[in-house]
Amino acid sequence: MHKEDNNRIKKILDSLDGIQGAAAPDFFYTRLKARMQNELLGQPSAFIKLRPVLAAASLIAFLIINISTLRQLTHMQPEKNRKATIETFAAAYNLNTETVYE
Amino acid sequence: MILLLQQKDEAAFKELVMLYQHRVYHTVLGLLQNAADAEDTAQEVFIQVYKWVGQFRRDASLSTWIYRIAVTKALDFLRSKKTKTRFGFITAVFGNDNTPVYDPPNFDHPGVALDKKEDAALLFGLIKKLPLAQQAAFILNKLENLSYQEIAAVLNTSPAAVDSLLQRAKQNLKKVAAALGNNNPP
Repeated sequence: MHKEDNNRIKKILDSLDGIQGAAAPDFFYTRLKARMQNELLGQPSAFIKLRPVLAAASLIAFLIINISTLRQLTHMQPEKNRKATIETFAAAYNLNTETVYE
Repeated sequence: MILLLQQKDEAAFKELVMLYQHRVYHTVLGLLQNAADAEDTAQEVFIQVYKWVGQFRRDASLSTWIYRIAVTKALDFLRSKKTKTRFGFITAVFGNDNTPVYDPPNFDHPGVALDKKEDAALLFGLIKKLPLAQQAAFILNKLENLSYQEIAAVLNTSPAAVDSLLQRAKQNLKKVAAALGNNNPP
């Protein structure tokens, strides 16, 4: 490599010697503060973040309670209702439900 | 001050920004070589400091910690920029948010003396071709005048590893500068 080339390369590599610090732009803090207010305060709260989970859990609990209640009702209600209906009807019309054969 | 920062005291945070804004901006600008990207990244550095200051150990050096966040953020930015440019024709022209991925050919650093502007622009162009770890070590050494020990603390490595990174960076820069000279005879 020629001496001239070496000098040229050295000059390029040394070009950052004595570089002055670049100052941050004016109003840097003001713009930073505005961005932080947007980003940090604009973030949804923990409750809002958990909302889908809470909604799903509530829906599942609602369905479980409903299904178990319906199942209990379907098992118990027909006999009770039938008895109640006959007794109520007889009492309302003052009927003697006993037959002549008894 | 750190105790106040950990209590999210606004006045203490403002004091911290005033104290470190120029150093952070200067470091990030050296790595990103773009004023708008550097300002954006410097803001992200301070947001990160605000969020993470609770985890900062009081026996550690605050300036080293801030430098580390700045270098990490800048290198993350460069990595994401590289990834974007690898996505072929469409993302080479438009970024993910449909903004053009613009890479200015010559970076004019405001702190370089007038008689060195041309060579410095050439050198900044060559620095971009270095591996990211070498870029970080070179910028911290040349622009920030940090010692090997300080660079090692920022990059979370040993002074010997920093020495190796800087030697390789200088060798690589010499190689590419020589190749540039051969391709462009005076």
